[in-house]
Amino acid sequence: MIRFSRVSKAFRDPLLVDVDLDIESGAIWGLIGPGAGGKSVLLKIAAGLMRPDAGRVEIAGRDITGDDETALAQTRERIGMLFQNNALFDFMTVLDNVAFPLRRRGVADDEAEARAEKRLRAVGLAGSEHKMPSELSGGMQKRVGLARASVADPEVVIYDEPTAGLDPVTTSKIYDLLREDHEASKPTTIVVSSDVDALLSFAPRVALLEGGVLRYDGDAAAIAESDDAVVRQFVTGSLEGPL
Amino acid sequence: MSRTRDIRSADSPPAPPASAPDPQRVALLLRPPLLVGAAALGGARVARGIASLFAGTLLRAINRQSERGAVAEQMFNIGNRSLFFVAVTLGFIALVSVFQVCLQLNRVTGDLSKVGLELIKLMVHESAPSLTAMMLATRVGAGIAAEIGSMVVTEQVDALRMSGVDPVSYLILPRFLACLLMTPVLAVFAFGVALGSGTAMAYVAFGVNPSIFVDFSAVTAADVGIGVVKCFCFGAAIPVVSGYCGLTTFGGSEGVGAATTRAVINASLAVLALDLLLTVAGFMLFPPSAA
Ligand SMILES: Nc1ncnc2c1ncn2[C@@H]1O[C@H](COP(=O)(O)OP(=O)(O)OP(=O)(O)O)[C@@H](O)[C@H]1O
Ligand SMILES: [Mg+2]
Repeated sequence: MIRFSRVSKAFRDPLLVDVDLDIESGAIWGLIGPGAGGKSVLLKIAAGLMRPDAGRVEIAGRDITGDDETALAQTRERIGMLFQNNALFDFMTVLDNVAFPLRRRGVADDEAEARAEKRLRAVGLAGSEHKMPSELSGGMQKRVGLARASVADPEVVIYDEPTAGLDPVTTSKIYDLLREDHEASKPTTIVVSSDVDALLSFAPRVALLEGGVLRYDGDAAAIAESDDAVVRQFVTGSLEGPL
Repeated sequence: MSRTRDIRSADSPPAPPASAPDPQRVALLLRPPLLVGAAALGGARVARGIASLFAGTLLRAINRQSERGAVAEQMFNIGNRSLFFVAVTLGFIALVSVFQVCLQLNRVTGDLSKVGLELIKLMVHESAPSLTAMMLATRVGAGIAAEIGSMVVTEQVDALRMSGVDPVSYLILPRFLACLLMTPVLAVFAFGVALGSGTAMAYVAFGVNPSIFVDFSAVTAADVGIGVVKCFCFGAAIPVVSGYCGLTTFGGSEGVGAATTRAVINASLAVLALDLLLTVAGFMLFPPSAA
C-alpha cells in the first residue's frame, strides 16, 4: 500500500500541493497529466528517492517520512522503477544492467544471469544481452529499463512512461507483459503515461495531476464523464476548454 | 533651524529631503556586500558539504565498504591517465628551473656544485608532491566530476539508489582509495623523471658532473615525512572535492560542464591551501635550524 497525506513539494514554484493519495496493495494505478506537472516528481517521492517538503508518505505499511538514508535504502529494495529516461548504466552491458538489482539483493551470479536473460527474452530483446546500452535504439533501451525494473519481483513497481517512443504493436505487447507480471505476483503497480487511451484500458483506477493537485482520482471508465471540465478536456484532447 | 527652513522655502522649489534615500541607489550600494555575503554563504555550504562527504567516505573506508576490483580499476584509470601528463610536466619544469638557476648562479658565484643538492631537497618536500597533485587535480579531478556528474543528470545515480546501492560507497570510495594510493606512487615517479631531466640539463648545458649533481645529503627524514604526508593529503582531497562537484551536478550536459570546471578549480585550490598549511606545520614541527 502507498499512502500520501498532504504531501507538498516545491522547487522554484510549488509543484505538489497537499496531495492525498491511497493505493491499496496489489492495485494498478495510472497517473496522467500535462507536462511538467510533477508526475515524475510524485513517482520519485513514492519510490523514496526524493523527500517531500511537507506531508507524510507511507510505503508498504511503513511511514518513511523521517527515515534516514539507510532505512530508505531498505524500503527501496522492495520497489522497482523504470525511469522516464531509462537511466541505464552506460558502463555495463544490457545483461549486467538487468542482472544488477538481483546481484545487489544477494542472488548468486548464475541465477541472476539466468533470470535476467529470461526477462530480456520476455521484452523481446533476446540476442542483445551483450550489447552496451548506447548501441540500442531508444525503444530497445526502454525495454531494457522495463526488464530491470521488474526483474527482482518487487512488491511495488513504478513505471514512468513505459511506452514512450514505442510503436503501437510494441506498446500493446508491453501492456500485455505488465498485465502478466501483475497476474503472476500482484505487485502494486503505478504507471505514468502520456498515452492516455492505452493507460485507461490498462489501469482500472487513474488519477489526473494538474496544477499541483489530483483533479481526478477514481474509476478509469468514468473519467470522461467527470464533473471537472479540465479533466474532461485533458482526456478527450480537445482544444476547447480551460487548459 | 527655523532660518534655514525659511531660506529654503523662499529660494527654490522644495528639494527632496536629504535624509530620504533613493531606493535604487541603496540597492546599488547594497549589492556588493550582498553578493559577497551570498558568495561566502555558498562557499561555507560547499565547504560543509565537502567535509561531510570526506567524513562519510572515511567512515565507509574503515567499514571496508568497497570492492577490491573497483579500486584496482580506478587505480589503473588514475595512474594510466596521469603517468604521461605528470612525467612531461615535471620533466619540463625541472629542465627549465635547473637552466635558470644555473644561469643565475654562474653570474653570481660560478659555483654550481650545490644546485642538485638544493633542488633535490626542494623536490622531496615540496615540488614533487604539490606539482604532481596540481596535475592530478586537473586531469583526475575533471574525469571524476564528469563521470559522476553525467551519471547524476541521466538519473543513473537514482537508479543505483533504487537497487540499494549507496552512491558514496559505489562511486566515491573506490576513487578515493585509488587516488590516495596512486598520488605517492606518481609523486615518486615524477621525482625520478624530474631528477633525470634536471641532471641531464646540468650536465649538457653547464657541464656539472652527475655524480656531483645527484646529492641526497641535504634530504632529512623530516623532508621525506612532509613529502609523504603531503602526497596522502592531496590524494585524499582531490577525489573528495571533485566527487562532491560531480554529485551536486544539476541540469543537463551544461551542468556536467559546469561541475567539471568547478571540480578542477576547487581541487586545485584545495591542493594549494593544503600545501600552505602543511608547509607551515612542517616548518613549525621541524624548524630548519634544528635539522
Ligand atoms: N531535481 C529538480 N530540481 C529542480 N527542479 C526540478 C527537479 N525535478 C523536477 N523539477 C521541476 O519540476 C517540474 C515537474 O517535473 P516532472 O518531471 O515531475 O514533470 P512531469 O509531470 O513528469 O512532466 P513530463 O510529462 O514532461 O515528464 C519541472 O518544471 C521540473 O523543472
Ligand atoms: Mg515526467
